[in-house]
Amino acid sequence: MQGDFLQLLKEQGYQFGVAGVARETQAGEAEIIRGTTILAMKYQGGVLVAGDRRATAGNTVMYDRTDKVLELDRNSVMAIAGVPATAYEMVRVLEHSFKYYRRTQLQELSFEGKLRAVSKLLKDNVAAALAGTGAVAPIFAGFDREQGLAKIYFYDILGAEFEGVEYAVSGSGSPTIRGILHYQNLWGAQSLAEQGEEDAMILALRLLTCAAEFDSATGGVNYEASLYPIVKLITGDGVRTVEDERMKSLFEQNVVRHV
Amino acid sequence: MFEEPYRWVEAVENRRQYLDEQFRQGSPVVALSYEKGILLLTGSRGTPKLYEIYDRIGLGGMGHPADLEKLRFSLLEMAHLEGFNRSPSDVTGSRLVKYGLAPVIKQAFEEIFKAPFIVKMLLAELGHTSQKDCFLTINYDGAFEEGGACAALASTSAIQAQMVAYVKKESEAIPGSLPEAMDLAVRAWALGSLAQLKEQEDETRPTEKPTLDTGTTPSTTVSPDRNILLTHLRAAMSEQTIESAILERNTPGSSRYRPLDPHELTRLLPKGLPSPVN
Repeated sequence: MQGDFLQLLKEQGYQFGVAGVARETQAGEAEIIRGTTILAMKYQGGVLVAGDRRATAGNTVMYDRTDKVLELDRNSVMAIAGVPATAYEMVRVLEHSFKYYRRTQLQELSFEGKLRAVSKLLKDNVAAALAGTGAVAPIFAGFDREQGLAKIYFYDILGAEFEGVEYAVSGSGSPTIRGILHYQNLWGAQSLAEQGEEDAMILALRLLTCAAEFDSATGGVNYEASLYPIVKLITGDGVRTVEDERMKSLFEQNVVRHV
Repeated sequence: MFEEPYRWVEAVENRRQYLDEQFRQGSPVVALSYEKGILLLTGSRGTPKLYEIYDRIGLGGMGHPADLEKLRFSLLEMAHLEGFNRSPSDVTGSRLVKYGLAPVIKQAFEEIFKAPFIVKMLLAELGHTSQKDCFLTINYDGAFEEGGACAALASTSAIQAQMVAYVKKESEAIPGSLPEAMDLAVRAWALGSLAQLKEQEDETRPTEKPTLDTGTTPSTTVSPDRNILLTHLRAAMSEQTIESAILERNTPGSSRYRPLDPHELTRLLPKGLPSPVN
């Protein structure tokens, strides 16, 4: 297939998603591989994607400054939950695939094409996912130039693709906030898609703080260390990262409760 | 019959003449550094001649479109495999040309039973500062040159040298802004294009052949007068359009290459040219 970077890599002997030794998964293991909270939701201007910054292995906090919301190109973002090694490799492959396609074919890969690329990688990864060594359940969000609107998709670890019409969540902290998003969308003062940019950012901060309250594998906000979640906004102008300064002031004014 | 060494030399010489003939009508390419990036510019009759190769590398070409495509693809493959397997900062124009492109082109040129690549290529690599910008040109026989500040492609190396000398003479320091860079680039392009035209006229004129061209004193020196160059540019634009792209030093994201759209070009080009906007 013309302009297919993954194919080119495979011709060079590269293999994506190598399964480790398959073994019985033990209780609690599924929790380990999903230790995180990522979310994407619509707002007036487009789509907001956010993720906490904690990386865990079992009960151990490995790192508190992980970036789980990664830009694939100027118009699309992938938020990752699952085994980081596989997830980062996926992002690297996708980033190069989109660039390679654009540069060889002299046109941008279509939004549909990008979605397929994510699915294909997850499918190649099935063996590793089932062996328990490489399960990834990402959220893909991007601006569809043909339709002129930002969209959200989420995937299970086997590569099935679902469109998140209003929002999508993934990771171990996601059950906590899924209900809140559903409630907010139906009975909140305004539906998710109606909220303004600032409201969306405040909601994202509050949701991740909630997730961290009930899930030890989610980092939330660490005010003392000035550690804020990564929040990216996808609009017709492309992808923009919200600066830490802005996060800090929003957190101080709208999230902290001084009792 | 090619087993005899001198026949082989003769065959290579014939091949040179044949190839030189192919570039006669081609449009020159100019690439030059300015403070905020690199500008690439050429005249086009429909098929594009400027391309993105990697995050910080742009390509300009002259010659047969099919050959250019073939080599462009091999450059893209090399660059992306290297960038993926090592890192994007390990992808350099210099390595792509010296170890990737040049041996392939040279081999095709010297295998006299097979068709050579009808191409001349220019690679511009954006540095973190303008002093680190790097330009490489490669000829149809695989010979390459590397330099800073600017580079050019034209039908002969004498004309290329003339264009480069013009750019260097016209701006002691490199241009500060994109409009200044554009102003200089279009003049350098016009100079090259005019020199090519002159050369064609000289050759069709039935005079005795001039003494061997040493390259230092080209027989087709063109007056670098601004008005003459702009007049020629206007005339040339009746059958071509300007194609231009930039590599931007300070832009967010990893991909720094961007073609200039017709509206931007209209703003940047000297007034009185037919607008590229239909």
